[in-house]
Amino acid sequence: MLHIEKNLENEKAVFALEGRLDTTTAPALEKELRDSLDGVTSLVLDLEKLDYISSAGLRVLLSAQKTMIKAGEMKVVHVNETIMEIFEVTGFTDILTIE
Amino acid sequence: MKIELKGRIDSNNASQVEKEIWDRLAGHSDAAVTLDATDLEYISSAGLRVILRLKKTYRDLKITGVSSEVYEILDMTGFTEMMTVEKAYRVVSVEGCEVIGEGANGKVYRIDRDNVVKVYKNADALSDIQHEREVARLALVLGVPTAISYDVVRVGDSYGSVFELLNARSFAKILAEEPERMDWCVAEYVKLLKMVHGITVPTGKLPSIKADALAYIRRMQHTLPPEYGEKLLRMAEEIPESDHMIHGDYHTKNIVLAGDEVLLIDMDTLSVGHPIFELAQMYNSYVGFSEYNEDIVLQFQGYPASVARAFWKNSLRAYLGTDDPRRVNPVEDKIRCIAYADLIDWKCRHGVENEEDRATVALWTQRLIELLGRVDSLAFDVPADGNTPADELDIEAVTENLPRVLAFVDERLEKVACPMKAQMQIDVAVEEIFVNIASYAYAPEKGKATVRVEVSEDPVTVTITFVDHGIPYDPLAREDPDITLPADEREAGGLGIFMTKKFMDAVTYTYKDGQNILTLTKNL
Repeated sequence: MLHIEKNLENEKAVFALEGRLDTTTAPALEKELRDSLDGVTSLVLDLEKLDYISSAGLRVLLSAQKTMIKAGEMKVVHVNETIMEIFEVTGFTDILTIE
Repeated sequence: MKIELKGRIDSNNASQVEKEIWDRLAGHSDAAVTLDATDLEYISSAGLRVILRLKKTYRDLKITGVSSEVYEILDMTGFTEMMTVEKAYRVVSVEGCEVIGEGANGKVYRIDRDNVVKVYKNADALSDIQHEREVARLALVLGVPTAISYDVVRVGDSYGSVFELLNARSFAKILAEEPERMDWCVAEYVKLLKMVHGITVPTGKLPSIKADALAYIRRMQHTLPPEYGEKLLRMAEEIPESDHMIHGDYHTKNIVLAGDEVLLIDMDTLSVGHPIFELAQMYNSYVGFSEYNEDIVLQFQGYPASVARAFWKNSLRAYLGTDDPRRVNPVEDKIRCIAYADLIDWKCRHGVENEEDRATVALWTQRLIELLGRVDSLAFDVPADGNTPADELDIEAVTENLPRVLAFVDERLEKVACPMKAQMQIDVAVEEIFVNIASYAYAPEKGKATVRVEVSEDPVTVTITFVDHGIPYDPLAREDPDITLPADEREAGGLGIFMTKKFMDAVTYTYKDGQNILTLTKNL
């Protein structure tokens, strides 16, 4: 289960994710991002309440990162220890802007 | 040296008695002297002084067979604290009493509605009784439902210990009288067995059953062709030590239903070790002993060989938590290697006297040699804690089923108190493998996958096996992604397998008999 809380303000978007980002839930996030990012120059992903991320979730993050490199910037905030471990092993700590 | 005290000893005859005793002890230098007070009616302070003077020379002086009247005097005067004083034992007759249990060292009779007495086979059983009382107490404290004897009695020329067992009925009797309760008996029998095997015993409290097994294998080894004898010994030596409890004589006469409680009795063979030794003795009780002559099991357990065999097979399956013969049969082969070694040694020590004995030993030997030809290790995975059996999930391989697969795996991980981080790592790997199968194995058709979770101990290791019948595909052959590239050059593919390899301690893939078999192993 994944709960996505969206906050759009002008060109700034904040997505707070809660639960599990895996093969079954990643498509929902992918769709939300695609529908919302038009004209957005700053994307913040708040992962404070994200319990789990698999390769399917990483795929969505990577694709969002690629989009935002062209459109502006993307930040990932409040990364907990569990998720950070995945980011480290996969080299995502180098390609994401983690705060 | 034993000296009988008779009648009354008081100031009238004390000096006479003393002289007689010293005459008999003349030249006797051993400190161990026993005064048998069975026929002693009364002793006054003059008599007590005789005993005190004896005690000065014979430090290990002991008084046995003391009546309750004399015991009271000895107790009041502090003699019971100065020396060993053993009370006379109540005499109990078991003539005509129902035999409700039987173990290696004795028989259990019901003496009235609420009490049973275990009569020991050897005459000098007091140290055995003491030992059994101590181990039963230890077992009770460690959580085993058992009975502890409250009295020691004389039964004919032997001793017995008395237990309170309300309406006790052994599983052997239940199976003999109500064979339709087989499934219930198996379930309760295995539940109790796993509970016992799940108990960790503090170091040094109980003997190692492996030491015992190595001893009989060394004794019987020469009856086999040398290469087989050596292989058996080497494999037995490689069985890991364990500090988990083993009952040592776990058959249906030693499991009793008392009221609605299932109790384990006959605790004198309690030890620690790998469950293969227990299972080997179980095999012998139901199958091995009577493999040549099936009447033996009927005589001993009271039910026919067919029931005994079914009870064994069902119990082993329940113990291993699977009906899959591919899992059960190899384990049974290992168990039988130990079982036959034990039987051959036992029979050789008890005398091979007639044609039947010779044929029996020949049959056991032949079976053992057959097994040693195909068994290469006696180790097998023991279900962790004795209560987390290997478990399988057969499921349609579609991504929608991922939550069910993860729930199935996580439920088993929680039982072994898997740390959060390891659980997440295992989930990542399980998701990757299952989604791979769901996406590629049968596309564009659909098919099934089997997910098996096994936990073994020392160290705690989780093994998850995925089996599918789809096209041969080795996900491990894929090249690792370059994780140093910048974001715009990164590809998303391959990360899942990459993480799986990083997070697991071992990942293997084989294609065999039309099956993709992938295993994940993680040490916790």
